Amino acid sequence: MGLKGQAAIVGAAQYKPEKYSTAPQMFHLEQVADLAAQALADAGLKASDIDGLCINGPHFHEASSFVPAMAAEYLGIALNFAEVVDLGGTTAVGMIWRAAAAIELGQCQAVLCVIPQRMAPFGPDEDPSAMARAMRYGGHSTQFGAPEAEFDLPYGHMGQNTGYAMIAQRYAAQYGYDPRALAKIAVDQRTSAQAHPDAIFRGQTLTIEDVLNSKMVADPLHILEIVMPVAGGAAVIVASKEMAAKARNRPAYVTGFGERLGYKSPTYSPDMTETPVGPAARGAFAMSGLKPQDMHTAQIYDCYTITVLLSLEDAGFCAKGEGMRFILENDLTYSGNFPMNTHGGQLSFGQAGAAGGFSQVIEGYQQIAGRAGDRQLKVCDQVFVSGTGGVMSEQGALILQGA
Amino acid sequence: MSSNKPMPVATSLSAPFWDGLKAGKIMLQQCGDCQQWTFYPRRHCSHCLSHNVAWKEVSGKGTLYTFTVARVPTLPEFAGAELQILAVVELEQGVRVNTTLIGLDPEQIEIGMPVKPVRARVSEDGTVLLRYTGANVDLTERDEVPKAPPAPTADSGPAKQQIAVTDEAALKALVSDEYSAWSNQVLVDQNLINAFAELSGDNYWIHTDPERARKEGPFGGTIAHGALVQVLMSRMQVPLTFEITGFTNMVNYGSERLRFPSPVPAGSLVHSRARVKAVERNKRGTQLTLEFNVHVVGQERPAVINDLVILYM
Repeated sequence: MGLKGQAAIVGAAQYKPEKYSTAPQMFHLEQVADLAAQALADAGLKASDIDGLCINGPHFHEASSFVPAMAAEYLGIALNFAEVVDLGGTTAVGMIWRAAAAIELGQCQAVLCVIPQRMAPFGPDEDPSAMARAMRYGGHSTQFGAPEAEFDLPYGHMGQNTGYAMIAQRYAAQYGYDPRALAKIAVDQRTSAQAHPDAIFRGQTLTIEDVLNSKMVADPLHILEIVMPVAGGAAVIVASKEMAAKARNRPAYVTGFGERLGYKSPTYSPDMTETPVGPAARGAFAMSGLKPQDMHTAQIYDCYTITVLLSLEDAGFCAKGEGMRFILENDLTYSGNFPMNTHGGQLSFGQAGAAGGFSQVIEGYQQIAGRAGDRQLKVCDQVFVSGTGGVMSEQGALILQGA
Repeated sequence: MSSNKPMPVATSLSAPFWDGLKAGKIMLQQCGDCQQWTFYPRRHCSHCLSHNVAWKEVSGKGTLYTFTVARVPTLPEFAGAELQILAVVELEQGVRVNTTLIGLDPEQIEIGMPVKPVRARVSEDGTVLLRYTGANVDLTERDEVPKAPPAPTADSGPAKQQIAVTDEAALKALVSDEYSAWSNQVLVDQNLINAFAELSGDNYWIHTDPERARKEGPFGGTIAHGALVQVLMSRMQVPLTFEITGFTNMVNYGSERLRFPSPVPAGSLVHSRARVKAVERNKRGTQLTLEFNVHVVGQERPAVINDLVILYM
């Protein structure tokens, strides 16, 4: 069962993270075409090679349904496989394995996985306040009949910060809490970001004291432990082994994946500190036949520092309750003994909305391809990538391998 | 009196829960097949999908599963004199609910502590939310419907230092980066906003149409006119520690700077504070610039900044 490693990431493109206020405004279809062209050039493939598409449905600007058909028409390509993926921060990871599975089934040979995340220009009849309204409640639905509209919003439970904060508090009550260990995640990643030309926080280093002295947003989370939303967007091309053989760069084969979700609010999880990263990662490792200690780098979804701590533990990089010690005892930078989020993570690279998860996928691919520039690992053949959506409620994991 | 805080809208599935709270009862669904409990309300049992679920009254008691103090309120409307403490409570029946903790200081709160329900009446239509407090806190219900606070009495405020308008050195010594204490609080409700709309002729829907503002506006409801909040200064007694004497005439000479940096949602309490920003002598007389800042209670960011110039002649 599972993937046989017959599909690989062969090319990628990613807009440099920018502030929304200064980033160019482009239609989402326009971004899809632009990112596709860049990713194809990166792979050394041509547009007619693409016969599969994974695209975001929610937040797509020009349409809320019929998105794949509209995009295929705009790109001028015919598809044998079309999929809308709606998994928040783990959408990127979810797209990659869906693409690989469709390829291994023989359904298609090259899949464009894409999420545009720059703002689209406002039309004359468009209401700019719609965006402010959507942001007001974070990812919470305000629709009549939505349980969260009825049982969360009136109490002020909304957005992500307080949800992750409550997970961290529960973790602290069970396992203890060392704020310095959590801060070190942000600090080590910031160090790595200095070696990525596109990282939004390049040129601004950070100390543990800076993190601990930054504004407390929701106990115990400081603002420097929380990801900054940026404009961006990304595309990745997953292709068959035959096509990967023609690719310009070393492909990253998808040899394992896992996915797990069972609730939107962690309030309704069986245990807030046992996250769905566990089953997702175990599935991915089992499929690939590899173990956490076989990984040359871990690209861990990092919307918050606490996300990383829990992911490291639940994915099996260290034992439950040992995460803080693990972080303090290991150097997590690209030159360290446990290189993690070598692009700076989203905390220091920038989080381009749902496309943010692609930053981890693309970093994993670039490390395997040997194209990570100043932060290139000496040996990188096996990479773990995680994705986190919602409030640690939608999780995915990938194992990528160089041939 | 309206407020922009999100309110629960009961459905046919959930009505017994909200109606129960109004009547002083906490109602939960139990499955007749597997005996397990379900929260939030559903047509089916959340454990076995059986439709054989029945509403039962429960004590509502439980233990604190987790909590956080939102140092940045999750919406501007949740700013207030009271800290916003979000919590998850696990009821005796095993289900968990999202709620808030009241009547407790953060240092009194510990995960795993026993907690008990507090019925909080939040709207004039009788809507009650299920909040929580410590098991031994003397609190079972609370009225949270926004009400106008009492107006200040004429002789309230600190003893004032008398400063002659001719005493330039003493006047200059008033200039400070420190603000005064807060004034009394004033409620900015929809009635007041409507009255101002009529008086000023500014009846733009973002101020006067709660329904449309909720659906189309960026603030989840109506907001007060900036100009209204500005003139409400007259209803706020800022406890200044000085009084200037010995002048013939005093004029409000206008404003050096007037800004509305953040909105005041309908139903907000506002208060203000001030500092002396500048003292200047010129041909016309002595000019005092007072920076008045009006804030929604609990909000760090001012709603109005007004550098008011007062001319003493």
